[in-house]
Amino acid sequence: MDARRSRLHQAQLAPAAIQVLQDLTIVFGAPLISGVVAHIEGRLQGRRGPRILQPYYDLSKLFRKETLVPEGSSWVFLVGPIVAFACYLIVPLLIPVLTTYGLPLGYMGDILGGGFVLALAGFAVAVAAAESGAPYAQLGASRAMTFGALIEPTILFVVFAVGIITATDLPYALAATVRSSAGQIVRPAHVLAAVAFFLVVLADTGRIPVETHSGTIELGMIDEARTLEHSGAPFALLKWGSAMKQLILYTILIDVFVAPWGLAGSAGVGSVLLAIPALLGKAVILGCVFAVIDNSFSKLRLFKITEFLAAAFLLAALAVLVYYVGGG
Amino acid sequence: MVHPAPSTFTGAADVISVLVLLSEFAMLRAPLLRSQIRLYAFQSLVVTALAIVVAASQHIGELYVLAALSFLLKVVIVPAIVLRFLSRAEVDLAGSSAFGVATMTLIAIAVSVFGFFSIGALHLRSTALPSTALAVSVAVVLVAFVLIVLRSDVVSQAVGFFSLENGVSVASLVVASGLPLIVDVAFLFDLLVAVVVFGVLMRVHHGRTKTLSTEPLDQLKG
Repeated sequence: MDARRSRLHQAQLAPAAIQVLQDLTIVFGAPLISGVVAHIEGRLQGRRGPRILQPYYDLSKLFRKETLVPEGSSWVFLVGPIVAFACYLIVPLLIPVLTTYGLPLGYMGDILGGGFVLALAGFAVAVAAAESGAPYAQLGASRAMTFGALIEPTILFVVFAVGIITATDLPYALAATVRSSAGQIVRPAHVLAAVAFFLVVLADTGRIPVETHSGTIELGMIDEARTLEHSGAPFALLKWGSAMKQLILYTILIDVFVAPWGLAGSAGVGSVLLAIPALLGKAVILGCVFAVIDNSFSKLRLFKITEFLAAAFLLAALAVLVYYVGGG
Repeated sequence: MVHPAPSTFTGAADVISVLVLLSEFAMLRAPLLRSQIRLYAFQSLVVTALAIVVAASQHIGELYVLAALSFLLKVVIVPAIVLRFLSRAEVDLAGSSAFGVATMTLIAIAVSVFGFFSIGALHLRSTALPSTALAVSVAVVLVAFVLIVLRSDVVSQAVGFFSLENGVSVASLVVASGLPLIVDVAFLFDLLVAVVVFGVLMRVHHGRTKTLSTEPLDQLKG
């Protein structure tokens, strides 16, 4: 028994294998996180809430359904969801999902590169929605692109803050800096950048300030409305992709800004396998925080979204400023 | 170049002063006059906390007295006086301002960037002095000016003036924590005089125009 355990400890995973595991964690963990959060949200609202595994059932049902294409739309309508899903598969390779050290493909792109790939996914979905010719899908796509452009300055300033704190723009470097001492966590530049990014994630996962991420009210639909015309396997890919996007953003917030602990420091099988439940557990806690915030504040009117984003931008800009003067 | 993490005192002073600045920005967007005054009370509470932190880390006993005085005056008495005035005036919403909230925030960010850079240009590098907190206090003063200029109701302008004093307090605490108590108390006395003057002004203005907005004053010209 002891011999076996020590062999398990010494067994090393190849970097490529860990990289595949990173993707698999995001791909198969994402519906679970959505399911758990939806369940807890239901409880918060006094309902029983859907089953935790419901997203998996939904996906498997959708994959078995036939695919319908609106009259007059071209191949773009069908390719969009696939491109978006592929983008969501690439981003986990760039961010610390399971390990504290960068894997070979981890240096393929920096934090900005990951942002670009996420933006490409949003673009693909928006083009597919526009291609459908349906008014609601187009409305959702146009709103999503507009608000994406408004969020962009905040993300840029968060990246700047990360850049000047670590002198690189690699997510791994910031995570290492945060782990290095308690002083790094409470320094104002880091706190402000983290809170700004928290607000960005809040807005980007369809929580606050104006969206209803699960509703059917067209006024509150932004991300959900884009997929209205899709059906069958492409719709499943879109739903899965949006769950993955949520988990990717949670992972960046957790493993880069807020709590980069519990990651594997070595390639040992045990520590890498332990990092998976650690990440999912932290993501569930974060999802619960988001659900509580979502359910305790009223939604803003659509055009008040600039106020919310101005607040996020203020925090991100201050993060850069307090660092610039006196190295806060 | 990667800066090392700041020391505990510097870090705490920086975080607290950033909180002061953020509450100043919150005042800029608060639509309810009451919430603006509560924000002022919160900001004063944060400044009091900063005084206690400085007193504890620099071992200056006098600052505890100052903290107690400023708590009593700025967290309890001044907000109570202004709230009492408001409940008599029965006006809740601030008058509309010249710009939207997002524009005001962006203007205030630009102004505070100027403050930060002007302190940065002084090249103050000292281990004892948290220069971030100093820059933040300058930004607080400038944003308080923005609040006074852009919001067109007397309460916002009074609160802007009071919070300007908070910014000055932060600066005096981090730069000259050994200032004689009498000077600090003189600041507080100034504030008290300002409260009386502004109280009279607000009352007279409300009595004449039946509103708290300053827009009727424009009609005096020409």
